[in-house]
Amino acid sequence: MKECKIIIMGFGSVGQGIAQAISLKKAMIKERYGVELKVVAAADSSTSAINQDGLEEMLLIHSKNSEGNLSAYPEYGSSISGLDVLDAVDYDLLMEATPTNITTAEPALGLTLKAFEQGKDVVTSNKGHLAIKFGEVTKAAEENGVEFKYEASVGGAMPIINFARETLSSCGINSIVGILNGTTNYILSRMTSEGSPYDITLKESQELGIAETDPTQDVEGIDAACKTVILANSVLGIDATYDDVSVDGISNITSQAIELADKDGYLIKLIAEVSEDTLKVSPRLVKKGSAYDIGGTLNMATIKTDLAGDVTVMGLGAGSLETASAMLTDVISILKVKY
Amino acid sequence: MRMNLVLELLDVPGQLVSILEPISGLGANLVTVVHRRDAKNEKGKIPVQLTLEGEQENLNRVIKRFDDLNITIVEKDGFTNKEFVSTILIGHIVDRDVRDTTDKINALDGVFVIGFDIKLDGEKKSTALINLEVDPGKKHFAFDKIAEIAGEKDLLMINEV
Ligand SMILES: NC(=O)c1ccc[n+]([C@@H]2O[C@H](COP(=O)([O-])OP(=O)(O)OC[C@H]3O[C@@H](n4cnc5c(N)ncnc54)[C@H](OP(=O)(O)O)[C@@H]3O)[C@@H](O)[C@H]2O)c1
Repeated sequence: MKECKIIIMGFGSVGQGIAQAISLKKAMIKERYGVELKVVAAADSSTSAINQDGLEEMLLIHSKNSEGNLSAYPEYGSSISGLDVLDAVDYDLLMEATPTNITTAEPALGLTLKAFEQGKDVVTSNKGHLAIKFGEVTKAAEENGVEFKYEASVGGAMPIINFARETLSSCGINSIVGILNGTTNYILSRMTSEGSPYDITLKESQELGIAETDPTQDVEGIDAACKTVILANSVLGIDATYDDVSVDGISNITSQAIELADKDGYLIKLIAEVSEDTLKVSPRLVKKGSAYDIGGTLNMATIKTDLAGDVTVMGLGAGSLETASAMLTDVISILKVKY
Repeated sequence: MRMNLVLELLDVPGQLVSILEPISGLGANLVTVVHRRDAKNEKGKIPVQLTLEGEQENLNRVIKRFDDLNITIVEKDGFTNKEFVSTILIGHIVDRDVRDTTDKINALDGVFVIGFDIKLDGEKKSTALINLEVDPGKKHFAFDKIAEIAGEKDLLMINEV
Protein backbone atom coordinates (compact mmCIF):
# COMPACT_ATOMS: atom_id res chain seq x y z
CA MET A 1 0.00 0.00 0.00
CA LYS A 2 1.30 3.44 -0.97
CA GLU A 3 1.51 5.96 1.83
CA CYS A 4 1.30 9.76 2.05
CA LYS A 5 2.93 11.10 5.20
CA ILE A 6 1.46 14.43 6.25
CA ILE A 7 2.55 17.29 8.52
CA ILE A 8 -0.23 19.65 9.68
CA MET A 9 1.21 23.10 10.48
CA GLY A 10 -1.08 25.35 12.49
CA PHE A 11 -3.63 23.62 14.68
CA GLY A 12 -6.40 26.18 15.12
CA SER A 13 -9.79 26.10 13.48
CA VAL A 14 -8.57 24.93 10.07
CA GLY A 15 -5.74 22.68 11.33
CA GLN A 16 -8.18 20.79 13.52
CA GLY A 17 -10.65 20.63 10.63
CA ILE A 18 -7.92 18.95 8.56
CA ALA A 19 -7.33 16.36 11.27
CA GLN A 20 -11.05 15.66 11.49
CA ALA A 21 -11.49 15.50 7.72
CA ILE A 22 -8.60 13.04 7.39
CA SER A 23 -10.05 10.93 10.16
CA LEU A 24 -13.44 10.88 8.42
CA LYS A 25 -12.19 10.28 4.88
CA LYS A 26 -8.99 8.22 5.09
CA ALA A 27 -10.81 4.93 4.59
CA MET A 28 -12.56 6.27 1.49
CA ILE A 29 -9.27 7.64 0.13
CA LYS A 30 -7.50 4.34 0.75
CA GLU A 31 -10.21 2.41 -1.04
CA ARG A 32 -10.61 4.75 -4.00
CA TYR A 33 -7.07 5.97 -4.58
CA GLY A 34 -5.06 3.20 -2.98
CA VAL A 35 -3.08 5.57 -0.76
CA GLU A 36 -2.93 5.56 3.00
CA LEU A 37 -2.90 9.02 4.61
CA LYS A 38 -0.77 9.17 7.73
CA VAL A 39 -0.39 12.27 9.92
CA VAL A 40 3.22 12.08 11.15
CA ALA A 41 3.32 15.52 12.81
CA ALA A 42 1.04 18.36 13.85
CA ALA A 43 2.24 21.68 15.24
CA ASP A 44 0.86 24.87 16.79
CA SER A 45 2.75 28.09 17.54
CA SER A 46 5.07 26.60 20.16
CA THR A 47 4.68 22.83 20.41
CA SER A 48 4.02 19.73 18.35
CA ALA A 49 3.22 16.05 18.32
CA ILE A 50 5.52 13.91 16.19
CA ASN A 51 5.52 10.19 15.45
CA GLN A 52 6.97 8.56 12.35
CA ASP A 53 4.47 5.71 12.72
CA GLY A 54 1.50 8.06 12.64
CA LEU A 55 -0.63 10.01 15.10
CA GLU A 56 -4.29 9.61 15.87
CA GLU A 57 -6.20 12.53 14.38
CA MET A 58 -8.98 12.76 16.96
CA LEU A 59 -6.51 12.42 19.83
CA LEU A 60 -4.59 15.40 18.44
CA ILE A 61 -7.76 17.51 18.58
CA HIS A 62 -8.57 16.27 22.06
CA SER A 63 -5.06 17.01 23.38
CA LYS A 64 -5.01 20.49 21.86
CA ASN A 65 -8.41 21.39 23.25
CA SER A 66 -7.90 19.98 26.72
CA GLU A 67 -4.41 21.40 27.38
CA GLY A 68 -4.19 24.26 24.88
CA ASN A 69 -1.13 22.85 23.14
CA LEU A 70 -0.03 19.80 21.21
CA SER A 71 2.76 18.85 23.59
CA ALA A 72 -0.07 17.35 25.63
CA TYR A 73 -0.36 14.50 23.09
CA PRO A 74 0.39 11.27 24.98
CA GLU A 75 3.94 9.98 24.55
CA TYR A 76 4.65 11.88 21.31
CA GLY A 77 4.07 15.46 22.49
CA SER A 78 7.16 17.63 21.95
CA SER A 79 8.53 21.14 22.27
CA ILE A 80 9.85 21.15 18.71
CA SER A 81 8.14 23.92 16.72
CA GLY A 82 8.26 26.01 13.54
CA LEU A 83 10.74 25.10 10.79
CA ASP A 84 12.38 22.46 12.99
CA VAL A 85 9.31 20.25 12.70
CA LEU A 86 10.09 19.79 9.00
CA ASP A 87 13.48 18.32 9.94
CA ALA A 88 12.22 16.18 12.79
CA VAL A 89 10.30 13.64 10.74
CA ASP A 90 10.21 12.06 7.31
CA TYR A 91 7.15 13.35 5.40
CA ASP A 92 5.69 13.74 1.89
CA LEU A 93 3.22 16.60 2.13
CA LEU A 94 2.83 19.73 4.24
CA MET A 95 -0.67 20.96 5.02
CA GLU A 96 -0.18 24.52 6.13
CA ALA A 97 -2.86 26.42 8.10
CA THR A 98 -0.95 29.02 10.10
CA PRO A 99 -2.30 32.59 10.48
CA THR A 100 -2.35 34.85 7.41
CA ASN A 101 0.18 37.68 7.62
CA ILE A 102 0.19 40.20 4.80
CA THR A 103 3.23 42.21 5.87
CA THR A 104 5.88 39.51 6.33
CA ALA A 105 3.94 36.48 4.96
CA GLU A 106 5.53 34.48 7.81
CA PRO A 107 5.47 31.80 9.09
CA ALA A 108 3.83 30.47 5.90
CA LEU A 109 6.51 31.69 3.50
CA GLY A 110 9.48 30.16 5.35
CA LEU A 111 7.68 26.88 5.97
CA THR A 112 6.52 26.58 2.37
CA LEU A 113 9.89 27.39 0.79
CA LYS A 114 11.65 24.98 3.12
CA ALA A 115 9.19 22.19 2.24
CA PHE A 116 9.77 22.88 -1.48
CA GLU A 117 13.54 22.70 -1.00
CA GLN A 118 13.07 19.36 0.72
CA GLY A 119 11.14 18.22 -2.36
CA LYS A 120 7.78 18.06 -0.58
CA ASP A 121 4.32 18.99 -1.85
CA VAL A 122 2.36 21.72 -0.05
CA VAL A 123 -1.37 22.37 0.37
CA THR A 124 -2.34 25.64 2.08
CA SER A 125 -5.30 27.73 3.22
CA ASN A 126 -3.08 30.74 3.91
CA LYS A 127 -3.43 33.97 1.90
CA GLY A 128 -0.46 36.03 3.07
CA HIS A 129 2.40 34.62 0.99
CA LEU A 130 0.09 34.25 -2.03
CA ALA A 131 -1.11 37.86 -1.81
CA ILE A 132 2.33 39.43 -1.56
CA LYS A 133 4.68 36.91 -3.20
CA PHE A 134 2.59 34.78 -5.54
CA GLY A 135 5.18 34.71 -8.33
CA GLU A 136 8.08 33.85 -6.07
CA VAL A 137 6.28 31.03 -4.28
CA THR A 138 4.78 29.36 -7.35
CA LYS A 139 8.10 29.62 -9.16
CA ALA A 140 9.89 27.95 -6.25
CA ALA A 141 7.38 25.08 -6.41
CA GLU A 142 8.03 24.66 -10.12
CA GLU A 143 11.80 24.81 -9.76
CA ASN A 144 11.69 22.10 -7.13
CA GLY A 145 9.30 19.97 -9.18
CA VAL A 146 6.70 19.78 -6.41
CA GLU A 147 2.95 20.33 -6.24
CA PHE A 148 1.54 23.47 -4.61
CA LYS A 149 -2.22 23.82 -4.11
CA TYR A 150 -4.20 26.60 -2.48
CA GLU A 151 -7.90 26.15 -3.31
CA ALA A 152 -8.96 26.87 0.31
CA SER A 153 -7.27 30.28 0.33
CA VAL A 154 -10.13 31.78 -1.71
CA GLY A 155 -13.74 31.13 -0.77
CA GLY A 156 -13.10 28.31 1.72
CA ALA A 157 -15.32 25.45 0.56
CA MET A 158 -16.60 27.31 -2.52
CA PRO A 159 -14.91 25.78 -5.57
CA ILE A 160 -13.25 28.48 -7.62
CA ILE A 161 -9.54 28.15 -8.45
CA ASN A 162 -9.47 24.53 -9.56
CA PHE A 163 -12.96 24.95 -11.00
CA ALA A 164 -11.96 27.88 -13.20
CA ARG A 165 -8.62 26.36 -14.21
CA GLU A 166 -9.66 22.76 -14.73
CA THR A 167 -13.41 22.41 -15.16
CA LEU A 168 -13.57 25.52 -17.38
CA SER A 169 -10.24 24.83 -19.08
CA SER A 170 -11.67 25.22 -22.61
CA CYS A 171 -12.62 28.83 -21.85
CA GLY A 172 -10.77 32.08 -21.72
CA ILE A 173 -11.70 33.87 -18.51
CA ASN A 174 -12.38 37.58 -18.85
CA SER A 175 -13.25 38.48 -15.30
CA ILE A 176 -14.39 37.25 -11.91
CA VAL A 177 -16.80 39.34 -9.86
CA GLY A 178 -17.91 38.11 -6.48
CA ILE A 179 -18.47 38.27 -2.76
CA LEU A 180 -15.32 36.82 -1.23
CA ASN A 181 -15.72 37.71 2.43
CA GLY A 182 -18.39 36.04 4.56
CA THR A 183 -18.07 38.29 7.62
CA THR A 184 -18.84 41.51 5.76
CA ASN A 185 -21.63 39.79 3.85
CA TYR A 186 -23.14 38.77 7.16
CA ILE A 187 -22.88 42.32 8.56
CA LEU A 188 -24.39 43.92 5.45
CA SER A 189 -27.18 41.32 5.30
CA ARG A 190 -28.06 41.99 8.96
CA MET A 191 -28.00 45.75 8.43
CA THR A 192 -30.45 45.21 5.57
CA SER A 193 -32.82 42.87 7.39
CA GLU A 194 -32.71 44.65 10.76
CA GLY A 195 -32.22 48.25 9.66
CA SER A 196 -29.47 48.42 12.29
CA PRO A 197 -26.44 50.73 12.16
CA TYR A 198 -22.96 49.45 11.29
CA ASP A 199 -21.36 49.71 14.76
CA ILE A 200 -24.08 47.76 16.53
CA THR A 201 -24.24 45.10 13.83
CA LEU A 202 -20.47 44.65 13.99
CA LYS A 203 -20.56 44.26 17.76
CA GLU A 204 -23.35 41.70 17.52
CA SER A 205 -21.40 39.74 14.89
CA GLN A 206 -18.38 39.73 17.19
CA GLU A 207 -20.50 38.35 20.04
CA LEU A 208 -21.71 35.58 17.73
CA GLY A 209 -18.10 34.75 16.83
CA ILE A 210 -18.68 35.62 13.16
CA ALA A 211 -16.51 38.72 13.22
CA GLU A 212 -13.12 38.58 14.92
CA THR A 213 -12.16 40.68 17.96
CA ASP A 214 -9.99 42.71 15.61
CA PRO A 215 -12.27 42.88 12.56
CA THR A 216 -9.95 45.11 10.48
CA GLN A 217 -8.91 42.46 7.94
CA ASP A 218 -12.52 41.73 7.08
CA VAL A 219 -14.33 45.07 7.35
CA GLU A 220 -11.63 47.12 5.65
CA GLY A 221 -11.66 44.76 2.67
CA ILE A 222 -8.09 43.49 3.23
CA ASP A 223 -9.09 39.82 3.27
CA ALA A 224 -11.13 40.19 0.08
CA ALA A 225 -8.25 42.09 -1.54
CA CYS A 226 -5.85 39.20 -0.78
CA LYS A 227 -8.28 36.82 -2.48
CA THR A 228 -8.55 39.22 -5.42
CA VAL A 229 -4.77 39.01 -5.87
CA ILE A 230 -4.80 35.22 -5.66
CA LEU A 231 -7.54 34.94 -8.31
CA ALA A 232 -5.83 37.50 -10.53
CA ASN A 233 -2.60 35.50 -10.53
CA SER A 234 -3.89 31.95 -10.49
CA VAL A 235 -6.92 32.21 -12.79
CA LEU A 236 -6.39 35.26 -14.99
CA GLY A 237 -2.60 35.07 -15.14
CA ILE A 238 -2.20 38.70 -14.07
CA ASP A 239 1.11 39.35 -12.36
CA ALA A 240 -0.38 41.41 -9.51
CA THR A 241 0.35 41.86 -5.86
CA TYR A 242 -1.60 43.26 -2.91
CA ASP A 243 -0.59 46.87 -3.61
CA ASP A 244 -2.19 46.73 -7.06
CA VAL A 245 -5.69 46.36 -5.61
CA SER A 246 -7.85 49.41 -4.90
CA VAL A 247 -9.52 48.68 -1.57
CA ASP A 248 -12.53 50.19 0.19
CA GLY A 249 -14.20 48.41 3.09
CA ILE A 250 -17.66 48.62 4.60
CA SER A 251 -17.02 50.67 7.76
CA ASN A 252 -18.43 53.83 6.17
CA ILE A 253 -21.67 52.25 5.03
CA THR A 254 -24.61 53.94 6.75
CA SER A 255 -27.97 52.33 7.46
CA GLN A 256 -29.42 55.21 5.40
CA ALA A 257 -27.46 54.00 2.36
CA ILE A 258 -28.82 50.50 2.81
CA GLU A 259 -32.35 51.86 3.18
CA LEU A 260 -32.10 54.06 0.06
CA ALA A 261 -30.67 51.20 -1.95
CA ASP A 262 -33.41 48.88 -0.74
CA LYS A 263 -36.12 51.33 -1.79
CA ASP A 264 -34.66 51.38 -5.29
CA GLY A 265 -34.45 47.58 -5.59
CA TYR A 266 -30.77 47.22 -4.64
CA LEU A 267 -28.62 45.69 -1.93
CA ILE A 268 -25.17 46.87 -0.90
CA LYS A 269 -22.48 44.18 -1.02
CA LEU A 270 -18.72 44.15 -0.66
CA ILE A 271 -17.72 43.16 -4.18
CA ALA A 272 -14.35 42.01 -5.47
CA GLU A 273 -13.72 42.60 -9.15
CA VAL A 274 -10.88 40.84 -10.94
CA SER A 275 -10.05 41.61 -14.55
CA GLU A 276 -7.15 42.71 -16.73
CA ASP A 277 -8.11 46.40 -16.21
CA THR A 278 -9.60 46.32 -12.71
CA LEU A 279 -8.49 44.88 -9.41
CA LYS A 280 -10.85 46.31 -6.91
CA VAL A 281 -12.69 45.63 -3.67
CA SER A 282 -15.48 48.07 -2.86
CA PRO A 283 -19.05 48.33 -1.66
CA ARG A 284 -21.35 48.14 -4.68
CA LEU A 285 -25.04 48.17 -5.52
CA VAL A 286 -26.40 44.83 -6.71
CA LYS A 287 -29.92 44.08 -7.91
CA LYS A 288 -32.18 42.20 -5.53
CA GLY A 289 -32.80 38.72 -6.87
CA SER A 290 -29.55 38.70 -8.89
CA ALA A 291 -26.79 36.13 -8.39
CA TYR A 292 -25.15 38.58 -5.96
CA ASP A 293 -28.20 38.49 -3.67
CA ILE A 294 -26.86 35.97 -1.14
CA GLY A 295 -27.29 36.23 2.63
CA GLY A 296 -25.38 35.21 5.74
CA THR A 297 -21.72 34.27 5.53
CA LEU A 298 -21.97 32.75 2.05
CA ASN A 299 -19.48 33.54 -0.70
CA MET A 300 -20.17 33.64 -4.44
CA ALA A 301 -18.39 34.46 -7.66
CA THR A 302 -19.47 34.94 -11.25
CA ILE A 303 -16.83 33.87 -13.74
CA LYS A 304 -17.23 35.57 -17.11
CA THR A 305 -15.92 33.33 -19.87
CA ASP A 306 -15.61 33.61 -23.63
CA LEU A 307 -17.26 30.30 -24.55
CA ALA A 308 -19.46 29.33 -21.61
CA GLY A 309 -20.92 32.75 -20.84
CA ASP A 310 -21.30 33.53 -17.15
CA VAL A 311 -20.83 30.73 -14.66
CA THR A 312 -21.67 31.38 -11.01
CA VAL A 313 -20.46 29.42 -7.98
CA MET A 314 -21.56 29.77 -4.38
CA GLY A 315 -20.61 28.13 -1.09
CA LEU A 316 -19.42 28.47 2.47
CA GLY A 317 -16.40 30.77 2.57
CA ALA A 318 -15.20 29.72 6.00
CA GLY A 319 -15.56 27.13 8.71
CA SER A 320 -13.27 24.49 10.11
CA LEU A 321 -14.39 21.34 8.30
CA GLU A 322 -15.61 23.28 5.24
CA THR A 323 -12.19 24.85 4.64
CA ALA A 324 -10.48 21.53 5.38
CA SER A 325 -12.65 19.88 2.71
CA ALA A 326 -11.10 22.10 0.04
CA MET A 327 -7.62 21.24 1.32
CA LEU A 328 -8.35 17.52 1.31
CA THR A 329 -9.60 17.81 -2.28
CA ASP A 330 -6.25 19.40 -3.13
CA VAL A 331 -4.48 16.48 -1.44
CA ILE A 332 -6.51 14.00 -3.48
CA SER A 333 -5.65 15.78 -6.72
CA ILE A 334 -1.96 15.41 -5.79
CA LEU A 335 -2.46 11.72 -4.97
CA LYS A 336 -4.01 11.23 -8.40
CA VAL A 337 -1.02 12.58 -10.30
CA LYS A 338 1.87 11.55 -8.08
CA TYR A 339 1.05 8.39 -6.21
CA MET B 1 -40.85 39.69 -37.68
CA ARG B 2 -39.41 43.13 -38.25
CA MET B 3 -37.11 45.26 -36.17
CA ASN B 4 -36.12 48.90 -36.63
CA LEU B 5 -32.79 50.05 -35.32
CA VAL B 6 -30.88 53.30 -35.27
CA LEU B 7 -27.13 52.83 -34.95
CA GLU B 8 -24.28 55.28 -34.65
CA LEU B 9 -21.27 54.80 -36.88
CA LEU B 10 -17.95 56.54 -37.22
CA ASP B 11 -17.58 58.57 -40.39
CA VAL B 12 -14.87 56.39 -41.92
CA PRO B 13 -14.97 54.39 -45.15
CA GLY B 14 -15.89 50.73 -44.77
CA GLN B 15 -17.83 51.11 -41.51
CA LEU B 16 -21.22 50.50 -43.07
CA VAL B 17 -20.17 47.43 -45.04
CA SER B 18 -18.49 45.92 -42.01
CA ILE B 19 -21.70 46.03 -40.01
CA LEU B 20 -24.01 44.91 -42.80
CA GLU B 21 -21.93 41.89 -43.69
CA PRO B 22 -22.68 39.81 -40.58
CA ILE B 23 -26.46 40.27 -40.82
CA SER B 24 -27.30 37.68 -43.46
CA GLY B 25 -24.88 35.22 -41.94
CA LEU B 26 -26.89 35.38 -38.74
CA GLY B 27 -30.15 34.47 -40.48
CA ALA B 28 -31.69 37.95 -40.75
CA ASN B 29 -32.59 39.94 -43.88
CA LEU B 30 -31.88 43.57 -44.40
CA VAL B 31 -35.06 45.35 -45.54
CA THR B 32 -33.97 48.99 -45.62
CA VAL B 33 -30.88 51.03 -44.83
CA VAL B 34 -30.87 54.79 -44.45
CA HIS B 35 -27.38 56.16 -44.09
CA ARG B 36 -27.18 59.93 -43.91
CA ARG B 37 -23.64 61.19 -44.00
CA ASP B 38 -24.88 64.78 -43.79
CA ALA B 39 -26.63 64.18 -40.48
CA LYS B 40 -23.48 63.88 -38.39
CA ASN B 41 -24.34 64.38 -34.72
CA GLU B 42 -22.49 66.41 -32.08
CA LYS B 43 -20.26 63.43 -31.32
CA GLY B 44 -19.17 63.35 -34.96
CA LYS B 45 -20.99 60.07 -35.60
CA ILE B 46 -23.45 59.22 -38.35
CA PRO B 47 -26.87 57.78 -37.57
CA VAL B 48 -27.86 54.75 -39.64
CA GLN B 49 -31.43 53.47 -39.73
CA LEU B 50 -31.91 49.78 -40.42
CA THR B 51 -34.98 47.63 -40.81
CA LEU B 52 -34.35 43.92 -40.40
CA GLU B 53 -36.55 40.91 -40.84
CA GLY B 54 -36.14 37.43 -39.38
CA GLU B 55 -36.90 35.08 -36.53
CA GLN B 56 -36.74 36.76 -33.12
CA GLU B 57 -33.85 34.54 -32.17
CA ASN B 58 -31.84 35.58 -35.21
CA LEU B 59 -32.64 39.25 -34.65
CA ASN B 60 -31.35 38.89 -31.10
CA ARG B 61 -28.14 37.42 -32.47
CA VAL B 62 -27.71 40.47 -34.68
CA ILE B 63 -28.13 42.76 -31.67
CA LYS B 64 -25.62 40.70 -29.74
CA ARG B 65 -23.17 40.92 -32.64
CA PHE B 66 -23.53 44.71 -32.74
CA ASP B 67 -22.85 44.81 -29.01
CA ASP B 68 -19.77 42.63 -29.45
CA LEU B 69 -18.56 44.96 -32.18
CA ASN B 70 -19.07 47.88 -29.78
CA ILE B 71 -21.59 49.51 -32.09
CA THR B 72 -23.93 51.86 -30.27
CA ILE B 73 -27.62 51.12 -30.75
CA VAL B 74 -29.33 54.46 -30.16
CA GLU B 75 -32.87 53.36 -30.79
CA LYS B 76 -34.72 50.07 -31.06
CA ASP B 77 -38.26 49.95 -32.49
CA GLY B 78 -38.82 53.61 -31.75
CA PHE B 79 -37.62 53.48 -28.15
CA THR B 80 -34.44 55.23 -27.19
CA ASN B 81 -32.05 52.70 -25.85
CA LYS B 82 -31.07 54.70 -22.75
CA GLU B 83 -29.70 53.05 -19.67
CA PHE B 84 -31.00 53.71 -16.17
CA VAL B 85 -28.45 53.36 -13.42
CA SER B 86 -28.13 54.33 -9.79
CA THR B 87 -25.36 55.36 -7.48
CA ILE B 88 -25.10 56.22 -3.79
CA LEU B 89 -22.94 58.94 -2.27
CA ILE B 90 -22.04 59.06 1.43
CA GLY B 91 -20.36 61.98 3.20
CA HIS B 92 -20.86 65.64 3.94
CA ILE B 93 -23.09 66.02 0.91
CA VAL B 94 -25.07 69.03 2.09
CA ASP B 95 -22.04 70.93 3.38
CA ARG B 96 -20.25 70.29 0.11
CA ASP B 97 -23.03 71.88 -1.95
CA VAL B 98 -25.63 69.40 -3.23
CA ARG B 99 -26.75 71.78 -5.96
CA ASP B 100 -23.26 72.01 -7.37
CA THR B 101 -22.92 68.20 -7.29
CA THR B 102 -26.09 67.58 -9.30
CA ASP B 103 -25.27 70.47 -11.67
CA LYS B 104 -21.86 68.97 -12.35
CA ILE B 105 -23.39 65.57 -13.06
CA ASN B 106 -26.04 67.07 -15.37
CA ALA B 107 -23.29 68.91 -17.24
CA LEU B 108 -21.74 65.58 -18.27
CA ASP B 109 -22.35 64.66 -21.88
CA GLY B 110 -25.27 62.22 -22.19
CA VAL B 111 -25.85 61.91 -18.43
CA PHE B 112 -29.00 63.18 -16.71
CA VAL B 113 -30.03 63.12 -13.06
CA ILE B 114 -33.62 61.86 -12.98
CA GLY B 115 -33.96 61.12 -9.27
CA PHE B 116 -32.32 62.33 -6.09
CA ASP B 117 -33.15 61.10 -2.60
CA ILE B 118 -31.19 62.26 0.43
CA LYS B 119 -31.21 61.12 4.04
CA LEU B 120 -29.53 62.98 6.85
CA ASP B 121 -28.03 61.25 9.82
CA GLY B 122 -28.33 63.95 12.51
CA GLU B 123 -25.23 66.16 12.57
CA LYS B 124 -23.23 63.49 10.89
CA LYS B 125 -22.85 62.39 7.33
CA SER B 126 -25.68 62.24 4.86
CA THR B 127 -26.43 59.64 2.23
CA ALA B 128 -27.88 60.28 -1.23
CA LEU B 129 -29.26 57.96 -3.87
CA ILE B 130 -28.96 59.35 -7.38
CA ASN B 131 -30.87 57.85 -10.32
CA LEU B 132 -29.36 58.55 -13.70
CA GLU B 133 -30.40 58.22 -17.29
CA VAL B 134 -27.40 57.72 -19.53
CA ASP B 135 -27.00 57.54 -23.27
CA PRO B 136 -26.20 54.08 -24.61
CA GLY B 137 -22.64 53.01 -23.88
CA LYS B 138 -22.05 55.91 -21.50
CA LYS B 139 -22.41 54.05 -18.21
CA HIS B 140 -18.70 53.70 -17.48
CA PHE B 141 -18.02 57.26 -18.56
CA ALA B 142 -20.75 58.48 -16.19
CA PHE B 143 -19.44 56.45 -13.23
CA ASP B 144 -15.84 57.54 -13.84
CA LYS B 145 -16.75 61.21 -13.99
CA ILE B 146 -19.04 61.06 -10.95
CA ALA B 147 -16.24 59.30 -9.07
CA GLU B 148 -14.04 62.32 -9.84
CA ILE B 149 -16.68 64.73 -8.56
CA ALA B 150 -17.18 62.58 -5.44
CA GLY B 151 -13.42 62.44 -4.93
CA GLU B 152 -13.11 66.24 -4.98
CA LYS B 153 -15.76 66.45 -2.28
CA ASP B 154 -14.47 63.53 -0.23
CA LEU B 155 -17.63 61.50 -0.74
CA LEU B 156 -17.74 57.70 -0.78
CA MET B 157 -19.42 56.46 -3.95
CA ILE B 158 -21.20 53.12 -4.22
CA ASN B 159 -21.77 51.98 -7.79
CA GLU B 160 -23.72 49.27 -9.44
CA VAL B 161 -21.91 46.07 -10.33
N1 LIG C 1 -11.06 29.89 9.53
C1 LIG C 1 -11.47 29.73 8.29
O1 LIG C 1 -12.62 29.40 8.07
C2 LIG C 1 -10.53 29.96 7.14
C3 LIG C 1 -11.01 29.86 5.82
C4 LIG C 1 -10.12 30.00 4.73
C5 LIG C 1 -8.78 30.26 5.00
N2 LIG C 1 -8.32 30.39 6.31
C6 LIG C 1 -6.90 30.61 6.55
O2 LIG C 1 -6.38 29.46 7.18
C7 LIG C 1 -5.34 29.82 8.09
C8 LIG C 1 -5.65 29.28 9.47
O3 LIG C 1 -6.87 29.87 9.93
P1 LIG C 1 -7.53 29.47 11.34
O4 LIG C 1 -8.88 30.04 11.35
O5 LIG C 1 -7.35 28.02 11.59
O6 LIG C 1 -6.60 30.29 12.35
P2 LIG C 1 -6.45 30.06 13.91
O7 LIG C 1 -7.65 29.36 14.45
O8 LIG C 1 -6.01 31.33 14.49
O9 LIG C 1 -5.23 29.00 14.01
C9 LIG C 1 -3.92 29.31 13.68
C10 LIG C 1 -3.01 28.19 14.16
O10 LIG C 1 -1.68 28.46 13.72
C11 LIG C 1 -0.81 28.30 14.82
N3 LIG C 1 0.41 29.09 14.63
C12 LIG C 1 0.62 30.41 14.86
N4 LIG C 1 1.89 30.74 14.58
C13 LIG C 1 2.50 29.59 14.18
C14 LIG C 1 3.82 29.26 13.81
N5 LIG C 1 4.79 30.18 13.76
N6 LIG C 1 4.11 27.97 13.48
C15 LIG C 1 3.15 27.02 13.53
N7 LIG C 1 1.89 27.27 13.90
C16 LIG C 1 1.57 28.54 14.22
C17 LIG C 1 -1.61 28.72 16.02
O11 LIG C 1 -0.98 28.21 17.19
P3 LIG C 1 -1.62 28.35 18.66
O12 LIG C 1 -2.76 27.36 18.68
O13 LIG C 1 -0.51 27.94 19.53
O14 LIG C 1 -2.05 29.76 18.81
C18 LIG C 1 -2.95 28.08 15.68
O15 LIG C 1 -2.94 26.72 16.05
C19 LIG C 1 -5.23 31.32 8.04
O16 LIG C 1 -4.18 31.67 7.18
C20 LIG C 1 -6.58 31.76 7.47
O17 LIG C 1 -6.47 32.96 6.75
C21 LIG C 1 -9.19 30.23 7.36
